[in-house]
Amino acid sequence: MGQGKSQFTEEELQDYEDLTYFTKKEVLYAHQKFKALAPEKVGHNKNAKLPMAKILQYPELRVNPFRDRICKVFSSSNDGDCTFEDFLDMMSVFSEMAPKAVKAEHAFRIFDFDGDDMIGVSDLSEVIDRLCGTDQKLSDTERQQLVQNVLEEADLDDDGALSFAEFEHIIDKSSDFCQSFRIRL
Amino acid sequence: MDDIDIDPNGEAGVGVRRSLTQSSNTARQLAVSFMPSRQLPYSTMRQRRCNSERNALLEEYSDATDSADRQADIIVRDMELDDRLMKNSPVSEERRREALRELPRGLTIKRHVRAKLSASVSLRSKRPISFWKRLKYRTSFAIKKLRDRLLNLVFSVELWYRSIRTIEGHFGSAVGTYFYFLRALFIMNVFLMLMVVAFVVIPQSLHDGHTNTTSAVREEGRFLDFISGKGMLEHSLLFYGHYHSGEIAAGGPLSYDMSFAYFFTMLSVCMVIFIILCYRTADSYRRNFIGAGGGARLVFASKVFCGWDCGVVSARAAASHAAGLYLEFKELLNEQDKNQVLMSSCGKLCRYLINAAVTTAVLAVILGLQYGLWKLLELESHAAHWELAVSITVALMVSLCPLVFDSVVRMEYYNPRTALYVTLGRTWLLDMSTLVLLFYFWANSAKHCWETRFGQEMYRLVLLDAFISLFVLPAIEFGRAFIYNLNYKTSPPEFNIAYNSLTLIYNQAVVWFGVMFSPLLVAAVAVKLLLLFYVKKECTMRACQPARKVWRAAQTQTVLYMLVTLSLFVTLFAVGSIFMRMSSQQCGPLQQYSRVVQVVTEGLLHLHQHPYASAALGFVTRPGVIGFLLTFLSVFVYYTRARAVAQASMVDILQRMVSLQAKDKEFLLGAITKVSNGEWLYSPKEDDEGPDSHTWKYLREVRKPSNSGFHFDASRLSHSFVDRPQSYVKENRSNSYYAERSKSQDDGDTDSSFSWKDSSNCLNRKGDENDHNLSQV
Repeated sequence: MGQGKSQFTEEELQDYEDLTYFTKKEVLYAHQKFKALAPEKVGHNKNAKLPMAKILQYPELRVNPFRDRICKVFSSSNDGDCTFEDFLDMMSVFSEMAPKAVKAEHAFRIFDFDGDDMIGVSDLSEVIDRLCGTDQKLSDTERQQLVQNVLEEADLDDDGALSFAEFEHIIDKSSDFCQSFRIRL
Repeated sequence: MDDIDIDPNGEAGVGVRRSLTQSSNTARQLAVSFMPSRQLPYSTMRQRRCNSERNALLEEYSDATDSADRQADIIVRDMELDDRLMKNSPVSEERRREALRELPRGLTIKRHVRAKLSASVSLRSKRPISFWKRLKYRTSFAIKKLRDRLLNLVFSVELWYRSIRTIEGHFGSAVGTYFYFLRALFIMNVFLMLMVVAFVVIPQSLHDGHTNTTSAVREEGRFLDFISGKGMLEHSLLFYGHYHSGEIAAGGPLSYDMSFAYFFTMLSVCMVIFIILCYRTADSYRRNFIGAGGGARLVFASKVFCGWDCGVVSARAAASHAAGLYLEFKELLNEQDKNQVLMSSCGKLCRYLINAAVTTAVLAVILGLQYGLWKLLELESHAAHWELAVSITVALMVSLCPLVFDSVVRMEYYNPRTALYVTLGRTWLLDMSTLVLLFYFWANSAKHCWETRFGQEMYRLVLLDAFISLFVLPAIEFGRAFIYNLNYKTSPPEFNIAYNSLTLIYNQAVVWFGVMFSPLLVAAVAVKLLLLFYVKKECTMRACQPARKVWRAAQTQTVLYMLVTLSLFVTLFAVGSIFMRMSSQQCGPLQQYSRVVQVVTEGLLHLHQHPYASAALGFVTRPGVIGFLLTFLSVFVYYTRARAVAQASMVDILQRMVSLQAKDKEFLLGAITKVSNGEWLYSPKEDDEGPDSHTWKYLREVRKPSNSGFHFDASRLSHSFVDRPQSYVKENRSNSYYAERSKSQDDGDTDSSFSWKDSSNCLNRKGDENDHNLSQV
């Protein structure tokens, strides 16, 4: 980690440690990973902004069906391009130490495709489509049925969409969320 | 990257809808943003989603160049309202740190917020800090530093981190949990081993070196002796019988009591591990079962939102994961259709009967096996390696039976998760009953130095188990992979998490039983687990395919830990109730006591010198007292359970209220929108007369018994809404409404469709729907 260390001062590391769920070592390790995505650019400027295509080279993101959404949610410029700080933020939220509430908040934004602060019918069917992958597709009726089932279960106020509170309720109820919404550094 | 870009049409559509809502619903938005729930600092901290147009206040800042600064300002203002955050004490500093971490914003904004916050805090606190406070502050700061350092250290020495991560990437986190479990057991055994070696084995070996009386008989070590633990091994450090009873001269004025060392090392180590396991199991149970239980189950929703395992790395695993999810969705839908077909009560009864019959049969089989084993043990011929034959039988039994149980459970009607638990439970029952039976047999066998014999039995079981899991199972898996590679039609070998975890649990149970009678067994098991990790890793990476069925791990892991804890409990119970009452005067470290329990009563407490103390102890251990304690415990458990049930029903009521309140809000917001748009269609003069007027209908509707009941509840429980500042209606839910509207015109029961002209109609329908909902809940 010798090279990585030289790019950060002790204060910066302390700063990152205070603001994320990582220890200093983990921050440095995350930076190594970030650097591996674009060695020259990041070697030049440790906080360089990498385009979304580069960020998506990260192994876990490459196969994730919501990769573009994840990048957009964490990007500080809202276009999917990430600086190291955005990347660190992303990894921190996905890490094991991050509490459920924080993960839920970000998951909600990831699933909220149209950005209207509610997970509506269109968002839900988009989520389902992406989950099933490119090889197989549920038929329209099946998908609608599934969406209806989800809403029936979780839409407490019957307004045809899931608000954040309702989403949080789902997350609270399902024990697998923390395990599935996790990327180990 | 075309395939992942958002459809531009969709975004444009949203834009259009957004501008539409903005122009028509400003009043509504303002009303929403001034609702009390939006004003609480807590809620604003949790709901800062900057890209929403809700925050009309924020809007004007967002395009400014120093928008980050402004946004930080707003957040700081919110946080300053919370007094707990703003004190100049370490506790509230820690709170601030937590709050900052939880802030769902980028790091830049967080940094701004932190700077402003600390400035504001130091402004507020003008009082000088007292000496004690400063001391407290310093200590807690030091502790925090230490914790950070420790975490740093843990990260850099975390065992097998990369290996497990790779496996998780290729096979999903479910397979990962097996390896975490393996790792946890390995660490636990290493801890156990270190303690035992340091306090028991090393003193004894020093003593051996000192007296030089040990290996009087130098037998030739033969291979079979190595397996059966007899011959030369019988009188070695490996077994109970070899250990010295009484004090060991340490060469100085101090002496080392071997009996004490042996007994209390085992006891305290087991107790420590038991407490840790209990704590961990309870914690994970609370998180995965209690937190997730209660109220309606959200099968579909949690499948959709928690479906993707973000740890997956390889494309092949991702594809099979997606395929698995697809199948699961289909299955869920099919199941639902089947349920709607309505199952007759006769069919249900039939299923229950079959389940009960199979369970009885399995229990009978387990009992039969134990009986057979007992007979086999009693048979005891004088053949040279008779015990070895018994051990092989046991090993075969415990490694084959899980497979049988696994296929038996498929004939029954359980859902997959319950089926897994049932298999786990049955196998665990078999394992534990076998071990208890062996222990009971040897304890009552009246053989010379039966403790060593039992230790040998455990030693043989560990050896055989190691052989099976290190050589036989991998060979089978590689064989299957080879066949699969030749012929793709056969099913590929998948990593069988349940079976593999069960062998680990069995293995650990043997250790719990064995450690008292064969101290070095722990070392053997630790080595075995170390090898097993690498063998399993290679096996998984080279021979196995990613599982096609999605396996959810969180709850199962809890169950695994629970079983380990339970087996330790059974061991402690069995050893405590059988061994403690017996005498162990033929060999081993406890020879000098007429009963084992006297190590504590005589050796440590010297009870014969304190008659009162021994009388008190005698009283406490009387059946009456223990019975009273048990009754008390039962009453307490009953009380807690009653409370839990009461709370569950309260949750139910609150859930219904949430839905009703949200509808109220919708109703009022709809009205506000209409009024602000100048659509005040209700003119009181026209309708004043007659009971058919809207006012009358409206009032009657409000005073409906069902509604008034909930009004009463609302007034009684209103505090809970202050505590739970969750908003159930957003100002822009009409977005979704318009979206819905464009799709289906028949849905007229939403706020915007409400107009005063046909209010009675609408309200009636709402009332009906409420009743309908209630009956559903």
